[in-house]
Amino acid sequence: MNAAQLLNGIALGSLLMVLSSGLAMIYGLRGVANFAHGALYMSGAYIAYSVSDRAGFWLALLVVPLALAVVGVLLELVFFRPLQHRSHIELGLITFGLALMAERLVVLIWGERTLRVTPPEFLQGTSNFLGVEYPSYRLAIIAIAVVLAAALVLWLRSTTTGLHIRAASQDIETAAIMGINVDRVSLVVVAVGSALAGFAGALAAPYIALDPGMGSAFLITVLIIVVVGGIGSIGGAMIAGMGLGVIQSVTTVWSPSVAVVVPYLALTIVLLWRPTGLAGKRVS
Amino acid sequence: MTTTAPTDVVSPSAAAPEASPRGRLKGTLVGLGIAVATLLAGLAVPYVVTDTYRMSLLVEGTLLSLLAIGIGFLARHLGLISLGHGAFFGAAAYGVGIATTNWGWSPTTAVGFGVVVGTGFAVVMGLLVVRSSGFGFLMLTLALSQALYALSVQTSARPLTGAHDGKLLSYDRDMTFLGLAQRDVMNPGLFWPMAWIALTMCATVLWLVGRSRFGTTLEGIRENEERMRFSGYDTFGPRLVAFVLSGAVASLGGALFAINSGYVSPDILGFTRAGDSLIAALVGGFGLLVGPIVGTFLFVYAQANFNFGGNLHLFTGMALILVLVFMPGGITGSLQKLYHRLRRGRR
Repeated sequence: MNAAQLLNGIALGSLLMVLSSGLAMIYGLRGVANFAHGALYMSGAYIAYSVSDRAGFWLALLVVPLALAVVGVLLELVFFRPLQHRSHIELGLITFGLALMAERLVVLIWGERTLRVTPPEFLQGTSNFLGVEYPSYRLAIIAIAVVLAAALVLWLRSTTTGLHIRAASQDIETAAIMGINVDRVSLVVVAVGSALAGFAGALAAPYIALDPGMGSAFLITVLIIVVVGGIGSIGGAMIAGMGLGVIQSVTTVWSPSVAVVVPYLALTIVLLWRPTGLAGKRVS
Repeated sequence: MTTTAPTDVVSPSAAAPEASPRGRLKGTLVGLGIAVATLLAGLAVPYVVTDTYRMSLLVEGTLLSLLAIGIGFLARHLGLISLGHGAFFGAAAYGVGIATTNWGWSPTTAVGFGVVVGTGFAVVMGLLVVRSSGFGFLMLTLALSQALYALSVQTSARPLTGAHDGKLLSYDRDMTFLGLAQRDVMNPGLFWPMAWIALTMCATVLWLVGRSRFGTTLEGIRENEERMRFSGYDTFGPRLVAFVLSGAVASLGGALFAINSGYVSPDILGFTRAGDSLIAALVGGFGLLVGPIVGTFLFVYAQANFNFGGNLHLFTGMALILVLVFMPGGITGSLQKLYHRLRRGRR
């Protein structure tokens, strides 16, 4: 094993970290595992393709989260809020239906062939990092994701909105009784969660190839990460996401057949050993 | 473990409980009579439907219905929604493929072997998952079945499963499946009686189990697992037995599916297959035993007729959302509600 492989793991882990923190936020607050999260990520990547084609990649990184935040607002206003008295499973299955539709819509708009996004020019080559030549763009992914994660944690820890989100994630009813506007908090959380998924998609676009199956391929991994990290724990999801990315990349070198089952193995072990997940206090 | 609130999707049918054991026996006999009549009526289908393509759709619907009633049984009696039953269906199908093609077993023995393999997977998965409920159950079943998929398409599994290419079944010309040679087994008209008998038998067994004392125990666990434990009931055992039973039904479907189509595609274990079956069962409705069957036949029909441009999932996704938002309980659930309203209106 060498440093480049470890860096590959960290780059994958960074993407998973951004994706799973969005899913964990929505799950923690609404109690709904958003099966459309993979579709949001995929749409983010495809929109990034179109925007960066016309106006450059940096603008795409700005436009995509905004566009996906609007999608998140719609998701909250059309489905999550009116149907909040329904069982969580039903809401989860509705998002599953949305994901199925989104996957086809992407094919209808952008076609079935694999697309590529070129990273900005100065990130196209490799740079020397700790003595290894490593693709610059992947280093940029790691840097951006770490900054984003730090900003998210800071926002949740030190702002009033963050306090409200944490309170509502712990117990939405008590939070409402204490005078927190839960509907507003939920709107913010679903919008931010969707924006994060879109951002992860845009960030991933130059790193991976875009195809309509990319969302559901990641979705299961991300769902597993959120359960492993602990329901309602954003920090747990971040750590689990980074950990899984690194472990998976490292095991791929050692044995590819074992690597594909790593997430499933991790989920089974964690749930048997700690049903609440690594950092969670609730059973899903 | 949190108790799951009873939901509209999985709420039980509002059938009036028979007061006396005698009335109960009568209900059982009437039910069995209907089952036998359905079985016999179904056997006439190949004489009515002479078109091979339509017939093959009916066979496909029947075999996939076995998967769907397995999912429906768990949802109705335990309130558990499974995304992992595709694993048992697929494992049984691969079991048949490996036993015939790699080991040269006769197709009849291979189907038995396939069912045993699928049920074995259900035992293993059941031991791991039945303690959980709600989303935990949904995700654990999904994750474990996807693990099986990921393993089956590995290059190192190629000699057994054929990896991404799938597995073509081949066995000696003189070997038969219950008297049908390979060419005849793939003829939907000739294969139909076996599929139909399997479906009606399994549906009857599941119905009888649901009516038995065991079924009542399951419903108690669904409504309040904690209270059942306080009342001195073992809740793990019944859950596991119900899970394995529903897995065995799905396995039978998978084994027959493999024999009939003569080819096992890796998609059979995939996320999409499991999702499609769950959607079909949900759209049909979990409240009645026939709900998942109705849903599956509708799905197969839609797949054959509305799949222009590969847009099938656009429609199934839409159907899923519409049913969940506007008619929880599915098609059969809505018909049942309508029926009860009409009856009340007449009085």
